[in-house]
Amino acid sequence: MSKKKKTGTSLLYQLIGEARGYDDVIIMGRGDPDFDTPPHIVAAAKEAMIHHHNDYTPPQGLLPLRQAIAERVKRVNNIDVDPESEVVVTNGGQEALFLMVLAVTYPGDEMIVPEPNYNTYADSLAFAGGVKVEVQTYAETDFRADPQDIRKAITDKTRSLLLVSPNNPAASVIAPNDMREMLDIAVEHDLMILADDIYDLFVYDDFQHVSPASLPGGKERALTLNALSKAYSMTGWRLGWIVGPADLMARVTELKAAVSGGASVISQYAGIAALTGPQDAVEMMAEAYRRRRRMVLDALDEMSMKYGMPQGGQFVFADIGFTGLDSAEVAQRMLTEQHVLAYPGSAFSKDRKDYLRMTFLQPEDQLMEGLERMKVAMDNIMAEKQ
Amino acid sequence: MASNTKGAILARHRANDDLNTPLLPQVARGDSDLAADGMRGPLDERIIAAASAALENGHTHYVDVPGIGPLRDAIADYLKGAAGGHYRQGNIVITAGLQESRFLSVQMIGEQYDSIAVPAVIHPGLRKALGLRSRNPRTIAVSQAKGYLPSIEAIAQAASDGCRLFYLESPSRLSGAAYAADEVAAINQIIAEKDAAVIWDQGLAPWVEGAYASFAALDSDCARTAAIGEAYSGMGLASWFIAYIAAPEAWVSSMQSQKQIMAICTSTASQYAALEAGQLYNEARGRQLSRLAQLRADLLSAASEAGLSVVGGEAVNVMALKLSEDNMKKISRAGIDFAAGSLFGAPDVIRLNVNHSTAAALRALS
Repeated sequence: MSKKKKTGTSLLYQLIGEARGYDDVIIMGRGDPDFDTPPHIVAAAKEAMIHHHNDYTPPQGLLPLRQAIAERVKRVNNIDVDPESEVVVTNGGQEALFLMVLAVTYPGDEMIVPEPNYNTYADSLAFAGGVKVEVQTYAETDFRADPQDIRKAITDKTRSLLLVSPNNPAASVIAPNDMREMLDIAVEHDLMILADDIYDLFVYDDFQHVSPASLPGGKERALTLNALSKAYSMTGWRLGWIVGPADLMARVTELKAAVSGGASVISQYAGIAALTGPQDAVEMMAEAYRRRRRMVLDALDEMSMKYGMPQGGQFVFADIGFTGLDSAEVAQRMLTEQHVLAYPGSAFSKDRKDYLRMTFLQPEDQLMEGLERMKVAMDNIMAEKQ
Repeated sequence: MASNTKGAILARHRANDDLNTPLLPQVARGDSDLAADGMRGPLDERIIAAASAALENGHTHYVDVPGIGPLRDAIADYLKGAAGGHYRQGNIVITAGLQESRFLSVQMIGEQYDSIAVPAVIHPGLRKALGLRSRNPRTIAVSQAKGYLPSIEAIAQAASDGCRLFYLESPSRLSGAAYAADEVAAINQIIAEKDAAVIWDQGLAPWVEGAYASFAALDSDCARTAAIGEAYSGMGLASWFIAYIAAPEAWVSSMQSQKQIMAICTSTASQYAALEAGQLYNEARGRQLSRLAQLRADLLSAASEAGLSVVGGEAVNVMALKLSEDNMKKISRAGIDFAAGSLFGAPDVIRLNVNHSTAAALRALS
């Protein structure tokens, strides 16, 4: 009996499941930082358990947390929001993403999505009955989304434009000039913008991230998501947010209430501590990612692998087309033979069967070991090919 | 410049009454708030210690989408013991609160059916969950005499009319009324004969004195029932948003996929706290049940003396009253918040939580 070939999210979960069976596995797939949550945030959670475990929390979140989020998006993203009416707290960036897509999509509506992109956007769009219109980007141009390609993809059914910067999985950052041009296009064609800023603290070299909502004319048509998962190593706490114009955020609030009602009060107090407390742990982690990124790029250069230069984020999207194999097969062989988990590009886009996404979210010794094993896997594949 | 696109989105949103149904607060906003769905309560220091230790030991990362294994085991065992369900770890999904349980179950199980039969009086969270993406709800009439639960005849009629998926509460989240064992058996016969399925909200079951009849207990193959409820209610975890779905593995698979899409997993702090709460539950719940039962009995006496019409119900943590609009205003003027029956579909009823403040609501009426 032949098993149905898994794709997208289910393919990733199949690989994650198999990876659990190997004691010595090195995970270079999932976007879960190896650092534990900084101790002062854990301490704040413990305090909340003692003093606030019964606190009422509305669907949009505790006001002090929304105030901290408003201050953060002003400081980091230059977006002005009213914490009373323009911030909704979510169960992580993932729920923010889901709600954001639902907020602007009715069945039949088209959303323009620069590809490759995080697979959950396609899943959420499918749930809403929307239609994904892909705009391709390429490694040769470091996965730059060309505003003119976006313009060409617009039809009379287009309602929104998705801008994930830094991008997942391609790690490209939309340049300020491109962002301005994309916003102009959105205004010209009256499109809503969904901005995913979750990697905004991880931008490398001289690249610069600009939030579309910070630009003139951007805020009233943009919903912007972020979360504490990546920057504060808080993936298990499930805490994120959406900010946007009050009228649209009223809809987001109702959607949030319909989907899950609220967010854990303990996570919310931990979130307040994260956003308002010392930030040195964030900088320490960012510095570690800068070093590790360099390690990965050096190793890929040694293997003569091509990639789009990761301008931001926490991963590299590398071309494995030279193997002649589908990325799902390469990922499977790396896992089975070398116990290294990387995500196949085909899980992110049907047109990216030649790519692997590798994170640099492991301690440096493990990362080095993982890269060495990956080289062995690639050498084996190439030896068989010859 | 005004956006027509946004204007159109908002116009459609405003027209969606179900999605805009107000939700009741998850926990009380103060002593005079008797409207909340969840129960406030002290948090045992052992729960604090367990959750803190988990966080301090690095359980701050993603965990499995359907929940950590030990908690899924614990919930399965609890359901076997408390309600006679036939569950194993693979049948359990840990959710970020009861509303997520509602949403996942009606949306994902609902995808497999043409329609979903919904009692005319039901928790507003269900209408809200269906308002986001309609699963073609069909209304089942309810019986006032049955505490606003649908009668067996009404359920049979809906099945005869072609409905194959039912959403039922027992106890009712408005009145606390629960189906008796013979009624549950009769529902099971209807469901089995029609090869239908049930989403069974049993969240108030821990507060039924005496035997509780769960539909899940009759589903020996675990083939046609998704039971939902809060994880260890009454243990001070209402604001931690933790609940469960217990369902056939085939349904778990689709709900797990959707949970991944919309949340990845449930907060680890909440899960480790619930795990410890489960260890303490039988004893703690027993004490609380006795206290609430005595309190409610006293309140019923007071209500009777005041000539008030109490809607019959078995769950002792709530009390529903049939009231005139004037009497509802009297309670509001006394500064007491209540859950309006209009949100459930019964405009002449209110629900009061049973606690030390409930007597003040009755005094406002006498």
